[in-house]
Amino acid sequence: MVNSNKKRSVGQKQSMAGWAFLTPAVLLIGVMSFLPMIQALFLSFQTGIGNKMKWTGVTNYIRMFKDPVFMQALKNNFIYLVIQVPIMLILALILASLLNHKDLRFKGLFRTAIFLPCATSLVSYAVIFRSLFAVDGLVNNILIKLGFLNTGYNFLGHPDSARIVIILALIWRWTGYNMVFYLSGLQNIEYSVYEAAKIDGASPIQSFFRITVPLLRPTILLTAIMSTNGTLQLFDESVNLTNGGPANATITMSHYIYNVSFKYVPNFGYAASMSYLILFLVAFLAFVQLKVGDKRD
Amino acid sequence: MKKKIASLLLAGAMVVSLTACGTGGSGSTAQTGDKKGDGGAKATNELTVWCWDPAFNLYAMKEAEKVYQKDHPDFKLNVVETPWKDIQTKLTTAATSGNLESLPDIMLLQDNAFQKNVISYPDAFQDITGSGVDFSKFAKAKTAYSVVEGKNYGVPFDNGSVVGCYRTDILKEAGYTVDDFKDITWSQYQEMGEKILAKTGKPLLSCQAGESDLIMMMLQSAGGSLFDKDGKPDMVGNATLKKVMETYASLVKSGVLIEVNDWDQYVGTLTNSTVGGTINGCWIMASIQTAEDQSGNWAITNMPKLEGVEGATNYSNNGGSSWAVTSASKNPELAYDFLSKTFAGSTELYETILPKSGAMATYLPVAESKVYGEPQKFFGDKPVYSMITDFASKVPSNNTGVYYYEARDAVATAITKVVAGSDIDAEIKNAEDTVNFAMGK
Amino acid sequence: MTKGKKFFAYTFLIVVSFISVFPLYWMMVAATNRSVDVTRGTLMFGTALFDNANKLLGSQNVSTALINSFKYSTIMTLISLLICSIAGYGFEVFHDKAKDRVMSVILLAMMVPFAATMIPLYQMFSKARLLNSTLGFILPTISTPFLIMMFRQSARSFPSDIMEAARLDGLTEFQIFYRMFLPTMRSTYAAALTITFMNAWNSYLWPKVIMSDAKSITMPMLVANLTQGYVTDYGILMLAVLICTIPTVVIFFLLQKSFAEGITGAVK
Repeated sequence: MVNSNKKRSVGQKQSMAGWAFLTPAVLLIGVMSFLPMIQALFLSFQTGIGNKMKWTGVTNYIRMFKDPVFMQALKNNFIYLVIQVPIMLILALILASLLNHKDLRFKGLFRTAIFLPCATSLVSYAVIFRSLFAVDGLVNNILIKLGFLNTGYNFLGHPDSARIVIILALIWRWTGYNMVFYLSGLQNIEYSVYEAAKIDGASPIQSFFRITVPLLRPTILLTAIMSTNGTLQLFDESVNLTNGGPANATITMSHYIYNVSFKYVPNFGYAASMSYLILFLVAFLAFVQLKVGDKRD
Repeated sequence: MKKKIASLLLAGAMVVSLTACGTGGSGSTAQTGDKKGDGGAKATNELTVWCWDPAFNLYAMKEAEKVYQKDHPDFKLNVVETPWKDIQTKLTTAATSGNLESLPDIMLLQDNAFQKNVISYPDAFQDITGSGVDFSKFAKAKTAYSVVEGKNYGVPFDNGSVVGCYRTDILKEAGYTVDDFKDITWSQYQEMGEKILAKTGKPLLSCQAGESDLIMMMLQSAGGSLFDKDGKPDMVGNATLKKVMETYASLVKSGVLIEVNDWDQYVGTLTNSTVGGTINGCWIMASIQTAEDQSGNWAITNMPKLEGVEGATNYSNNGGSSWAVTSASKNPELAYDFLSKTFAGSTELYETILPKSGAMATYLPVAESKVYGEPQKFFGDKPVYSMITDFASKVPSNNTGVYYYEARDAVATAITKVVAGSDIDAEIKNAEDTVNFAMGK
Repeated sequence: MTKGKKFFAYTFLIVVSFISVFPLYWMMVAATNRSVDVTRGTLMFGTALFDNANKLLGSQNVSTALINSFKYSTIMTLISLLICSIAGYGFEVFHDKAKDRVMSVILLAMMVPFAATMIPLYQMFSKARLLNSTLGFILPTISTPFLIMMFRQSARSFPSDIMEAARLDGLTEFQIFYRMFLPTMRSTYAAALTITFMNAWNSYLWPKVIMSDAKSITMPMLVANLTQGYVTDYGILMLAVLICTIPTVVIFFLLQKSFAEGITGAVK
């Protein structure tokens, strides 16, 4: 409060300078994102094949709740979100704080190695994941050798195990990506703080929870919002790893929207209304996250 | 470090100013590009084509250019390699936003998607019925894919006739030859497959789980479709479909058919000798031939037919594509003439592209050609190409309908559940409901 | 760290690194093998690298794709960092209720799937005659809520007493940004550069929709071309994928020190 009072007293000049700073970026987003979004919103109240559209009111919005495939996709997205995002972010935090340690060697190599997955092309990573989890793939061979299984299990052929494979793939691909933000965020914490804590007798785990996590809060908020958004718009893994199968058990909303727009007889009105449901869900979750996490101390 | 950042920023600022200056420049080049037609003909003697697969479609187009250039030395073809999915995306985007000028003169369309696109975007395509292309020279089942309301919109190209491919060395271990698989039914197939499985431990057939290719091939082999003549879903009470699903489920249960999770693994089962054969469009032979060490051990024949179904044959089709002329073409007459003198009129073209690319035609006159009759060493010294051209002429027509992909995916979902133990009738009902839902916009 | 803890840390990092690197290893192996050996699941380096390279160069225009990808990604990254860091800084340092609201609204821009906005955007760009142009390629993603928010969040740790001091010294607001903020936020810039470059380098759908000229091909488009045939040659494909992956990895490797080695004392 003190802070913002002070700001106000400095006066309008600074506020104007502030607007000047953000105008180019905001204008660009306005034209490149909001204009098309408004057009998509109009589209979501229309129906028809291809470009022969007519007004239909909220029919599309009612329709999606009667659509079993879309409902399945919605459920899948939430399963991915609830399981994958927390595991991934915690893992990324642990890795980042490990790799921020002063007397650890080969840090550059480790960081690059862990970052690699998100730079790896989708084509090769999909091929590899599918072959790893094939009936005669490496994972099955190991499980058989360890005595957990008698014969190969078709991981991608059963709904629950196929979802687990997708979640594993997501964690594999995006942990290093999130680690980058934490690593860069950690630079704003003076290393001496940790040393002081150590002298005070804090264990590494204690200083992780009492120093690292609170000071990284702005970055954690950023990654949480980004990951929520990314997971609810998940497309690549559903298309490339499982193609939505078996029997739509792993299909995501974005994958279905893509099908409705480009694979099936194009129905852009319906696609737009489903997109707006995603917008609503992400916005709601981001709002909650901002409320909880975006406080200025 | 400060210096570095400063120079970085400076570089950034320079780029901004450069692009700011460049805006006018690039804008104007785009404009001149548009005037000439980015997609459409650049000049009166030039055509732009979109297609995919350099070893196959692009190669064929470039050879066609050479053929046409003999009589038209000024002619130029601008072939832009564009994957099928991207052609579909670009076509949809351009047509929906009413900006057809960005389309090329000619593009290649998957046969299965042809009717959907022509009906969704009638403005985007040229009716080529009276363009001088002689459609009677193509197999009727093939031209049917690109006919909408009695009008022709496509010049047929590659052949998707179904072949049964078998590993003769594996068959031999169980005491069979490829001739035992000619003109058979699916139950004979399964019976022999079970014996081969017992003797050699190898399934006879593999396919991709969650895809309905095999189902659709079986269905078409008996002239069946998922839609009736009026375009309404015809699944519940469709005896052919039920028989197909039963046949498929029984094959999986017996172990004669193994399902793998993706295309790469499917090709792997062929090249790794995991299976004793495959049934697919004839284009699969190109993948089979990558395993050079198996040369001479493969043979082809027709596919098994359904039992107790009216109109059942040993012939079907999977895949294939046709050339469409778009309404964006500034010079449609040239496009018509080019197509009718090459893909719809030049035996020479097909004779050139076959040996190098294995591109099988649906152009009937080439069946007599010497090149097609040559024995192929890889396939046990049999003239496989003329055999396939013969198969092509016997394939029953398929009614893809507009909602083909919706129905196909619904059936794929149904068969996945049936294989996992669900009731066939209930799943067929679900599939029909799914398609009806998609159609009820 | 004690020895035991160190051992645990190294083991953990080695296992995670191994799992992370494996696909890259596989890609390299595949690039040196014939396609048929790749489908047979080999894990040993082969001898077909030159063969694959020749075939790749023979069938695809690799140099054009590389030059284009570098051109688009570099321009996009530099402009994007500049615009978004200025905005992120502005949102945080001059924050008030109105600007916080604008920030929340801006976040909405990334929450709609691209499939829904692609067609209106295409309409706009074709009217503005920006199809087949560099500007058309980069404009839609040059200012992203994500980057703005990233800089906003990191500006939060920028000490305000320094700014006050600078203001008393008579520096303008932009000079403060340029002389004080920019150098101290080296780690954020390095991280943002890596991520933005990677996203630009890998972008596919939009470029593919607006670029319909063989001359404007990029690396991801080239890779997509290779997966489309009746026969996929995995040796060639993986070589192309490898070429497509290396630049991002190199950039990361070169920059990782900057975003992980701490502030060098510019502030204090």
